[in-house]
Amino acid sequence: MERPLYIPVILGTPRKGRASENVARFVLGEVEKREGVETELIDVRGLRLSTEDEGESVKDAEFSSKMSRADALVVVVPEYNHGYPGLLKHALDSNLKEYVHKAVGLCGVSAGGFGGTRVIENLLPVLRELGLVTIFWDGNFSGAQKLFDESGRILDDSYVRRVDKFLKELIWMARALRHGRENIPL
Amino acid sequence: MPEADRMNCPDCGAEMNHHADKLVYDSAPDDEDAGEGGFILEAHACPGCGRSATRVSQPGARAH
Repeated sequence: MERPLYIPVILGTPRKGRASENVARFVLGEVEKREGVETELIDVRGLRLSTEDEGESVKDAEFSSKMSRADALVVVVPEYNHGYPGLLKHALDSNLKEYVHKAVGLCGVSAGGFGGTRVIENLLPVLRELGLVTIFWDGNFSGAQKLFDESGRILDDSYVRRVDKFLKELIWMARALRHGRENIPL
Repeated sequence: MPEADRMNCPDCGAEMNHHADKLVYDSAPDDEDAGEGGFILEAHACPGCGRSATRVSQPGARAH
């Protein structure tokens, strides 16, 4: 029997009032519906990362362990002035070997109408350098402050279908890369 | 792959698969590859249990 995939969802901003938390919890719920996939939410707000140094010297052991176990990642990232949150970059940079030949999918979040497309484009080369393999589907969550009700339920059901496409591709890539890591020599 | 280059899984003992060489732009331990500006990190994965492991590549010790 195939081992379950482990695909955590990283909530990439610690800001107060973050709309990305609703997005992350929505995506997490969609991942949880998949058979053979284990997941959990990883909130950058909760990571123990010193800001007095960088890279692997500031590792959070629990976070690194989860990255090592992961077959793929979902990164939920808000767009701040076209860029990504500094703490997300700081957290991602704290690992390296844990990411090699693993899949990553991005969900961009923005208050405007572009669904975080610009932050996604900015983050792609970072992920590539870390050794991750990006997929060709993204999640684009536009107008994020008005996209959920007070309980955090998404108000536009079309996102369920879009995220389904995104996750199908991510899971395919995660399975393909696991097979490659474990069976195809360099 | 030569016998000396093989890595066995620390958890289950199975022979691991060497699936990647990653150039790391960093100060090298003691085998800096001046031509690349960093060092090569070998990535291995266990086909039995999925455990991953890495090691710094030793220049000249590998078949490729």
